[in-house]
Amino acid sequence: MRIRRFAVAAATVAVGALVLSGCSAPQSEIVEGSSLSVAWNQPFYSYNGETSFGNATANNNITYATNAQFNFYDDTPALVDDTSFGSYEMVSEDPLVVKYTIADGVKWSDGTAVDAADLLLKWVSLSGAENTPDFDATEFTDPDTGAFTPDFPTDVVYFDSGADPTTGPGLVSQLPEVSDDKKSITMTWDAPFVDWDLQFTNVGLPAHVVAANALGIDDPQKAKDALIKAITDSDTASMAKIANFWNTGFNFTEMPSDTSLVVSNGPYTITDFVADQYITLTANENYVGDHKPEVAEVTVRFITDPLAAVQALQNGEVQVISPQATADVADALAALDVTVVGGYEGTYEHIDLQFDQSKSGHFNNPLIREAFMKIIPRQEIVDKLIVPIQPDATTRDSQVFLPGAEGYDDSVASNGSANYADVDIAGATALLAEAGVTNPEVCMLFSSTNPRRANEFLLIQQSGALAGFNVTDCSSPDWGGLLGTPGKYDASLFGWQSTSLGVTNGPPPNYNSKGINNLSFYNNPEMDKLTDELGKEFDPAKQIEIQIEIDKLLWDDFYGVTIFQFPAVTAFDETKIANISPSTLSPTIFWNIWEWSPVGA
Amino acid sequence: MATFVIRRLIASIFILLAATYLMYILTALSGDPLEDLRTSTAPNKAQLIESRTRLLNLDVPPFLRYFIWLAGVGKCFIGQCDLGVTVQNQPVTILLAQAAGSTLQLVTIASLVAIILGITVGITTALRQYSGYDYGVTFISFLFFSLPIFWVAVLLKQYIAIGFNDFLADPKIEYWIIPIIAVVSGLIWMSIIPRKGLQKLLTFGIAAVATAGILFYLDLSDWFSTPHIGIVGIIISSIAVAFGVTVISTGLKRRRALYAALTVAGVGIAIYYPFLYGFSLSLEAWSLALLALVTIGVSFAIGWFWGGADRLPVARTAAITGFLVAGLIALDRFMFVWNQYANSGRIKGRPIATVGSATPGLEGSLWVHGVDLFTHLLLPTIALILISFASYTRYSRASLLEVMNQDYIRTARAKGLTERTVVVRHAFRNALIPIATIVAFDIGGIIGGAVITERVFGFVGMGQLFQNGLDHVDPNPVMAFFLVTGGLAILFNLLADLVYAGLDPRIRVS
Repeated sequence: MRIRRFAVAAATVAVGALVLSGCSAPQSEIVEGSSLSVAWNQPFYSYNGETSFGNATANNNITYATNAQFNFYDDTPALVDDTSFGSYEMVSEDPLVVKYTIADGVKWSDGTAVDAADLLLKWVSLSGAENTPDFDATEFTDPDTGAFTPDFPTDVVYFDSGADPTTGPGLVSQLPEVSDDKKSITMTWDAPFVDWDLQFTNVGLPAHVVAANALGIDDPQKAKDALIKAITDSDTASMAKIANFWNTGFNFTEMPSDTSLVVSNGPYTITDFVADQYITLTANENYVGDHKPEVAEVTVRFITDPLAAVQALQNGEVQVISPQATADVADALAALDVTVVGGYEGTYEHIDLQFDQSKSGHFNNPLIREAFMKIIPRQEIVDKLIVPIQPDATTRDSQVFLPGAEGYDDSVASNGSANYADVDIAGATALLAEAGVTNPEVCMLFSSTNPRRANEFLLIQQSGALAGFNVTDCSSPDWGGLLGTPGKYDASLFGWQSTSLGVTNGPPPNYNSKGINNLSFYNNPEMDKLTDELGKEFDPAKQIEIQIEIDKLLWDDFYGVTIFQFPAVTAFDETKIANISPSTLSPTIFWNIWEWSPVGA
Repeated sequence: MATFVIRRLIASIFILLAATYLMYILTALSGDPLEDLRTSTAPNKAQLIESRTRLLNLDVPPFLRYFIWLAGVGKCFIGQCDLGVTVQNQPVTILLAQAAGSTLQLVTIASLVAIILGITVGITTALRQYSGYDYGVTFISFLFFSLPIFWVAVLLKQYIAIGFNDFLADPKIEYWIIPIIAVVSGLIWMSIIPRKGLQKLLTFGIAAVATAGILFYLDLSDWFSTPHIGIVGIIISSIAVAFGVTVISTGLKRRRALYAALTVAGVGIAIYYPFLYGFSLSLEAWSLALLALVTIGVSFAIGWFWGGADRLPVARTAAITGFLVAGLIALDRFMFVWNQYANSGRIKGRPIATVGSATPGLEGSLWVHGVDLFTHLLLPTIALILISFASYTRYSRASLLEVMNQDYIRTARAKGLTERTVVVRHAFRNALIPIATIVAFDIGGIIGGAVITERVFGFVGMGQLFQNGLDHVDPNPVMAFFLVTGGLAILFNLLADLVYAGLDPRIRVS
């Protein structure tokens, strides 16, 4: 009985529900939108890429898209000006005076004008000119955390931009002149600096936001006036707060609740940032320059594992990837229906020979250096280790020029590197005989944790044995610290990273006898003369001429050999996106983000 | 008891101190934290090196730097934990919180499913010892156990994500696949259900035909692009749930329990449509949780009124039924938005994801986000379950078999108790005791994360914190990871001992 009664009740309720349900139609529960996704291997962590710790590709890729530049590198690589943002000109060469002018109508994404206040902040932070002299931050750094302690003096100005008063922006120690219309500033350099055009390439952080947060002034114009006044008067109390906020205020690992921190003046602006997952860039409505983006929304997803990035591309979750180039990635990409673009990274592999501080002492003799250079199987290393990753890879044949950059081809034709294109066992044996040594030992320093370098070492060892060289293993996990230590090794195998084509980054520090990166104890008065000359030469054509001479001198002096430029790989789905054209220099794929265009949407 | 706990805790602190010291030294000596700067050609290289050295106290040898770190950890006792900063000047405490959140999300569901599934399968294999089903499960669990996870994870992505998404473009099951699946399913059911001779064949036939029928229905109704349970499905499954829960919870002889369960199922069916098209749209996560609690409460009350003399078991049966039926309706609600979700501009018809924990920029209702979470967690969860599944099934099988051979089980049977009472009340409870310790250990391991799974599926959790720290020769994040995993391992070891003593009166802690 009971069951029947129950069944009747249940049926009544069910039928009632059925009738009721006819009333409402399903509503849309999803907010439509679309985005173009790019995979990058490291999460973004600081909107200020100028601090000593924030200067990383993961940050600079994003800040590049959110900041308009006075100039930038294209994929050649060559330096291109963006006059729609502003112009810079050299007013005089000696003393070096440079005038930066912001174009009319350039605004931050919150509508505030970009002007001299921003340029002044950029100057004061990069030059460190108002940093309290002889201030040792260590005393006020919490030894546990590295953070500044609460008793950090409030009257100390410290911009943590790694400023060096002897080079780069550190050389602009005098207060720049601000024009009356507040649109331009004129900087006077203490000494001529040939890479002046690579130093202040954008305006950096928004002065009004920094001043608003550091000084507590909400009105943008008043905040900027206060900032200009603080800088011009060297008001230490205010500058200390400004510097402190500049150092720490822009380090966030997820979308800050105060969105004024992500104000931008470039094609894009940050609109969403989920910790460790992705950061979303949306076209900046207030952007007036020439680089108006075609893709309205770009999401950069953080995918560490290279093969995971490949599968995400295959599954359509990302449309562009630029994973670390390995043979596995190359194989996986070859099997897919995607467009793969090979390319180079800024780092190049090379072998430096120790001059008069080598471990075995053999390399004091140029004949033995020459013989050793003859047995290094450069082509074989490229064929066996790089071609599987990048089929058209070639050796890098210049110590100075980046492949593709202006001057590379001319220099390679004449620098003598052709003598070392192929292994010459007979020649090496003859040279060793002439030097009168048998079985000279060459101990090679390289990273013991890097399998590719270990493989290169084995190839060199085998090839050297044929000519009578006893190539031994001086590798260490701590190899970086051993570089340039006298008597520890004979030859070193590692990579230099180039971040620009600036001449002051290359030859002077590397090859001048007093250069900071001269780790081989190379000392040639002629080279010192050339590098000094290069450091004073403003004419780009003459710079190239001098660099060609330097390159030739290095090969003639048996300095060492360059082997290859690190391969880079970019893959994208051409049914979704076009105009991807990776550049060798940072920000690699992002350099033309405004030219990317959606396909079939 | 108290002395035991205190003694263990003191010993644990020393173990942790020694382990952290060793770990710190090993990490710090594993490479050169300045390597990337040394090969830099930046003009202000010297300044950069100096600034990093200052940031991470690299001028202090690691043997002493450890104590700087330890002092920061010590501040936890005064409420200001300080785990140092990374190479990138990010406070590790904040990173740890983010990483732990992401890892918990990934691993909690996987562990829960693995525990429930593993124990269920383990128990059933023990009850059908030496059947084809038992051998089959044994074979499969050992197979899973021996698979390398990085490989399984990549295969899962290739076939279940990329392959399934490709299939969704034109969701038609190939005609020759249906009979194969039907036969396999028939064999499985035949081995699970204990019958002899002709009846066995009958079981096979029914299972195979039913499977084939379901597959044909799915195929013809375009189920894969518009998945649903539907009112018919809900009615059938709710009634099945009511019967099933009653069988296990009280036995069908308790008529009141059955009626209570059926009433609850009926109420569930009744609110199906109002829920689907009505008030479910505006629900938030918290109100859904509240609704679940209300459902359990109401079902309990229904059981209580049906209950008669001994109300509690009836109310319990009703509450479990209510929860499960509500779960089915919620599941249907999630399926309801699937088609909209899969064809939205951000998903573009490829719903199953291979990386991350959410679709960037997706905005929508609770149900849309639920589906999004499902599509992202599905693969890593399967990958994690595959490994732990084996141990749970083996342990629970062995444990139940041991208990079933005890004297008191024979006594219970001799008393004339039903098989259900013997298995559920006398055997199963005691079989769970050793499993409790294993579960406690596993929960301790949850937070430690799954380094490889996280990396392959693009989850930035505890595993990534550890790995990135190692890559940069940066001890602080590595130590944060180690502190949490080491601490939890010790804590849950202790808890497991206490729980064991609490559950099993034969064991005494002293």
